[in-house]
Amino acid sequence: MSADEQLTPHALTHLTRGTQVALITLLVGALCLVLEPLVPWLVIWPAEWVLPATDWVGAGLKWFLEGIKPVARLFSELMRYPMNWANAALGATPWPIVIGLVTALGWYIGGLPMAALGFLGLSFVLSSGYWPQSMNTLALVAVSVPLALILGGAIGILANEVPRVKSVVQAVLDVMQTVPTFAYLTPLLLLFGFGPVVGLIASAIYAAPPMARNVMLGLERVEPEIKEAAIMSGGTRFQQLFQVEIPSATTQIMIGVNQCLMAALSMVIIAAVIGGFNDIGWEVLLTMRKAQFGEALLAGMVIVVFAVIIDRMSGALATERKRHDRRVVWALVAFGVVFTALFWSSLPNASEFTLMDPVAGAVDSGLTAFTQANGPWLDALKNNSMFYVLLPLRIGLDQAVLPFTWGFAWTPAMSYGLFAAGAVIAALMAWRGHATGGLMVLIGIGMLETGIANLPWPFVLSGTAALGWVAGGRKLALMSVILLSTILVSGLWERALLSLYLSGAAVFACAVVGGAIGLLSAVSETAWKIVRPICDMLQTIPLFVFLIPVLMVFQIGEFSAFLAICAYAVVPMIRYTRHGLVNTPDEMMEAAISSGATEWQILRDIRAPYAAPTILLGLNQTILYAFAMLVIAALIGTTGLGQSIYLALGQADVGLGISAGAAMAILALIADRMVQGFAEERRQALGL
Amino acid sequence: MKTASLGIVLSAVAGLAQAADMGAVDEPIKLAVNEWTGQHVTTHVAGEMLKAAGYNVEYVTAGMMNQFQALADGDIHATLEIWSSNVSDEYAKKVDEGTVVEIGDLGLDAKEGIAYPAHVAELCPGLPAWEALQECAQVFATAETLPGGRLVDYPADWGTPGADRMTGLDLPFKAVPAGSEGALIAELRASTERKSPLLITFWQPHWAMSAYDVQFVDLPAGEEACFNDPAWGPNPNAVNDCDFAPSRIFKAGWSGFADKWPAAYEILSNYELAVEDQQPMMGAIDVDGGAVEEVVATWMTGNEDKWRPVVDAATK
Repeated sequence: MSADEQLTPHALTHLTRGTQVALITLLVGALCLVLEPLVPWLVIWPAEWVLPATDWVGAGLKWFLEGIKPVARLFSELMRYPMNWANAALGATPWPIVIGLVTALGWYIGGLPMAALGFLGLSFVLSSGYWPQSMNTLALVAVSVPLALILGGAIGILANEVPRVKSVVQAVLDVMQTVPTFAYLTPLLLLFGFGPVVGLIASAIYAAPPMARNVMLGLERVEPEIKEAAIMSGGTRFQQLFQVEIPSATTQIMIGVNQCLMAALSMVIIAAVIGGFNDIGWEVLLTMRKAQFGEALLAGMVIVVFAVIIDRMSGALATERKRHDRRVVWALVAFGVVFTALFWSSLPNASEFTLMDPVAGAVDSGLTAFTQANGPWLDALKNNSMFYVLLPLRIGLDQAVLPFTWGFAWTPAMSYGLFAAGAVIAALMAWRGHATGGLMVLIGIGMLETGIANLPWPFVLSGTAALGWVAGGRKLALMSVILLSTILVSGLWERALLSLYLSGAAVFACAVVGGAIGLLSAVSETAWKIVRPICDMLQTIPLFVFLIPVLMVFQIGEFSAFLAICAYAVVPMIRYTRHGLVNTPDEMMEAAISSGATEWQILRDIRAPYAAPTILLGLNQTILYAFAMLVIAALIGTTGLGQSIYLALGQADVGLGISAGAAMAILALIADRMVQGFAEERRQALGL
Repeated sequence: MKTASLGIVLSAVAGLAQAADMGAVDEPIKLAVNEWTGQHVTTHVAGEMLKAAGYNVEYVTAGMMNQFQALADGDIHATLEIWSSNVSDEYAKKVDEGTVVEIGDLGLDAKEGIAYPAHVAELCPGLPAWEALQECAQVFATAETLPGGRLVDYPADWGTPGADRMTGLDLPFKAVPAGSEGALIAELRASTERKSPLLITFWQPHWAMSAYDVQFVDLPAGEEACFNDPAWGPNPNAVNDCDFAPSRIFKAGWSGFADKWPAAYEILSNYELAVEDQQPMMGAIDVDGGAVEEVVATWMTGNEDKWRPVVDAATK
């Protein structure tokens, strides 16, 4: 196995570097711990040192926004036209015709299965009684997606044509995807005025990056021969691009279109927070407000149905070339028209369908029965998780261990004992040749004793720098420290640590549980059949809908927020783990089987190492998802950056909103770059 | 078009006899529809009154916290149920700018307070007297609040009135902010269904008051002195040792409203709605599942004496 031989020298050099930085981090941490009683500013950044950055950001942005407001308002006026047309077209078309059209489109793209999907899906929407609201939502998507496609396509082509700006473009795309949408709703409102246009633009901003990335990727992968042929036939650059390169990148670009559609749909609910539009997102918010789980789930399922139909149809459009019989298409459309004409007078109003109401009621009372029947053990689960895991993580053993919770009080002697035990373990591990691991154990114990929310800032900075150094070299370390320092001086540090704690705990839990489920799904096909639809639903249903059942069962508080984040962020971990484990190259498998390895050995020695980069990518996605969910979890009542963003939205405080959003994006970006750095390293080690 | 201009002429003639000018009857008056049922009732009653006066009305959904920018820009023309207890700073800024104007009280008699679902009285027998909470704190304790009891407070952006009461009255409770109104309702519902202890900051009129049989804790009556003078009240060392300051519910409009639709402005200024009228309508919608439009239409036909005079005063 040549991979192993390549690994050793690589690992060795890194081991020493890793050990060095771990040692430095440990020393900084220990020093902070010792000096803490004497120099309180090591732990709490003094209020006097805080720069009024949020105010500056607010004032600067206000000035800037006022400046470009006339242009924005003009744009907003212009966008009202397509918006109203789409709305009128979808709203006025009788429902049998819409269903007929979608079914016909399904047939044309993918034959019977797609036609059935379209028909059944829309029938569900109709029977839910949310038809008019759904059409409003579709109108929003119908206008925002072309906008996002044009924006994303333009960015992608720009990056392709001017290679110098590529890295800048990448950074901009990252920012567009990581700054929580709630953070920029207030400035958008100021700029574009009240109404659906704000939601339109917010979803276009969020949906453009996947398109841009896929356009870039697609154009990059165009075969050099094709490009040369275009040059030799004497086309201008414009002709080369639009007549040769883009057509040959179609498959990849269509994946971008698909991703763009999904992203736009997931923003629908966020746009509803502003209002101005009686859409399905607004219905979800209304039912949420009344804590009606059944109804909220029903409204949420409407969005899921749209997502599934759009995803499958645009996916088929991207991959399959075959088109189905047009005669059936016309027949289906004609049937819709004839049906409408025949029953015109007796056609029930689409909003009067209540077929699904009993189901919603049943779901709701089911939840009640569940909480009533399982109250005691659920409470015990929550209390134990709080007492023994979450609280110590947040405020450290020295504050979390109380007579009420653990049955005894924490004493300094116990701290010393804990550190001594850690030192023994570290020494043993160092002796066995795992010096870095030993140091990590000591650092971990120190963090557990103080708690993430109370970590001294010099320790956090040096720790981040150390991780950045190992993952991506000097440049990443420097970038991480500079970005983190901006959070420190802007006075959002404490909140950032709270966010870090909550999402960190959730990511850890997701990594363990999601990894295990992914492993199970890789081993057993049956398990995957059950897990896959659940994953699909968790990813497309509006996140808000999760909150009600979690709240009903576990009440307001961190544990509920933790669970809500996990429910959403666990999905990529499952998907990528399974994907990585299943897709081991055949040669490697054959070699292993012929050398007589057992199933378990293959999994441990072949599949797992090979899947490592993919699994790390999954972890990366899990981290980004956890940060995204943090804002939504603030609706339960958490205290980190998510809450700041909500406060800012409520108070129309542009500065605080953007600063908190930026802080969140900074944390997500640093985590993203580090995990990608590690993944890259693994990939190189495996010779990929 | 013809009837509309005729209307203008007629009302202009009538205007000599004190009635206000109708103004731009062709253009729709946009009323904000916020996130809660009570507000829907309030807004639809007002909208129907304006329609009865001959106006064109459009209902526009708008987030409660974010509607003021729209109001300032004239994208929305009036919002009819603003609670002084949780109005955003944005509102004050817009009023200072002169782009938004207040148009009088709604006349809804609101009450906020520390509350609990009725069954909690069995778990803490001294209730509703506030002194009982001193002894019962342990009953309400949870993992996050130990050793204190847990009070579910308003979402952080509405302020922290519950926490202020606990500090003021020196009660061993820790206030946990709910993230949203939905979270408050979920707490009430779970507590009622599981018969578990719950202390919560809540308000009326609200449909959940009757749905979950919510009771208020008796606190010393809130006087001005209580909020300024520590010596006042049961706790000599702190302010806020009393009930909530009574909250005001009022209406606001776009600054250009009065000029554009003078008669409509007068109707909305004089429009009031009582709790006794609003609460049954909320029940008919949230508990019995009626549609806002129908419930309001029924009320309008049955209670013409309550709203017709306001419309007539402005238009005749």
